[in-house]
Amino acid sequence: MNCQACSERMAELSDERLDEKTAALVRGHLETCADCRRLLGEVRETLASLDALPSAPPSHRLRAKVMGLIESEKLTLKDEAAWAASLRAAAGPRRARGFPWARLLTGTLGMCTLLALGFVLGERTATQRQLADLRVRVDTMGQLVEQSVLQKRTTGDRLETVLTAARSSKPDERIIDGLINSLAFDPSINVRLNALSALYGHAEQEVVRAGVLACLPRESNPLVQISMIDFLVAAKAREASPELRKLSLDPKSDTDVRDSARRAIDLL
Amino acid sequence: MPPVDSEIPVLPCPRGVECRGSQAVDTPSPLSDHELMLAVRDGDLDGMGELFERHHGPLFGYLSKLTGNRVAAEDISQIVFQRMLKYRHTYRDEGKFTAWMYHLARRCAADHFRKASSAPLSVDPSDLEDQADESRSADQSAVLRDDHRILQKALGRLDREDREVLLLSRLQELSFAEVASVLECSVGAARVRAHRALKSLRGHYFNIQKENPT
Repeated sequence: MNCQACSERMAELSDERLDEKTAALVRGHLETCADCRRLLGEVRETLASLDALPSAPPSHRLRAKVMGLIESEKLTLKDEAAWAASLRAAAGPRRARGFPWARLLTGTLGMCTLLALGFVLGERTATQRQLADLRVRVDTMGQLVEQSVLQKRTTGDRLETVLTAARSSKPDERIIDGLINSLAFDPSINVRLNALSALYGHAEQEVVRAGVLACLPRESNPLVQISMIDFLVAAKAREASPELRKLSLDPKSDTDVRDSARRAIDLL
Repeated sequence: MPPVDSEIPVLPCPRGVECRGSQAVDTPSPLSDHELMLAVRDGDLDGMGELFERHHGPLFGYLSKLTGNRVAAEDISQIVFQRMLKYRHTYRDEGKFTAWMYHLARRCAADHFRKASSAPLSVDPSDLEDQADESRSADQSAVLRDDHRILQKALGRLDREDREVLLLSRLQELSFAEVASVLECSVGAARVRAHRALKSLRGHYFNIQKENPT
């Protein structure tokens, strides 16, 4: 070991943070080098002075401010979750509508499907593993979509999540909630537009139409506003008429947005 | 100074439990910083309050010495915790909490220096006087205060990078592997920088002593 390597390890030697082998090498060098022994004394003295340097505590304001931040973040999380839940509640139960005979038919079909599935699963074939895998993937996707909004990832990450959700052939409630949340809360116009685009495939669901309609008054970007209006027209959401009328008369709205709203009212 | 693994500290009082003196046998072992931060990442924001209690003192000390300004140090400490909340999802499973926190702190301090665009001032001596040890004689305390003042001034004369590496490796008791991860350099480079910084500090210390003979 030379003087340079020895001197660079003096602080760690003093703190006994060196592994035995390196410590032995450093000590070996120190025995033969008077300059390094002198330098070690100086290093130890300086380190002792540094360690003794007092540090005043921060004021109580810091605690108050940080605890305030934490509480505020908690409220934001609660608000976003409650908003998504209220949308779902506003749309009502999904499967309670339709004709009684349709429900009977669905029930019978469901039983048949279960029976068939039972035969297939009973054999413990690869199908079982694939189904389990699919369930895990869908569940993970739901979490990803939710978390991408609630935990504020980078725009690229959020966009990728929304695009992946859009490609999902069998989206569950959590994915739909996540997409509506993205449309409502995401700060990026690009992410909001892509979330809306992903929702087109599910426009037949009341919760989706209610979600887009609820997002419309919150939206401030004309491009996204017009896209939402187009969506509501495509989804034949007649319940959107009062909101569209309000928008068409709002002097603060962009002229194109007002025109789009007027056209949408005529079409609906 | 003994080697410390600051990642798994012994918490004086786990969440909401009064535990002065010897701990009861059935007291649940406190969560490590890493476990707490993972819980925060997963939405349990109460954990952030506990991380604040554990780390705000050392963090403030680091920033206070780095900036030489108590008010700025307090502001930056607040921003660090704010960013920890905001970017909690970036905390990794295999992460090390203290290294991550000082990494954020370093960035926040860099923003501060950029905005201030001036060299940091040395700490107000009155801050140090507050720390005087009452068990010492008045003469001893005066000598010690003087020594601390010179050292604080010497720290202020170091380049910011040198000051950073010294504060992290010495006062925050991070290992060189952790310092390297905070400074985004190799372990060897961190070790070399720390040694040079220490040498430079010593040089400044003696120069200041010569400038102000007692």
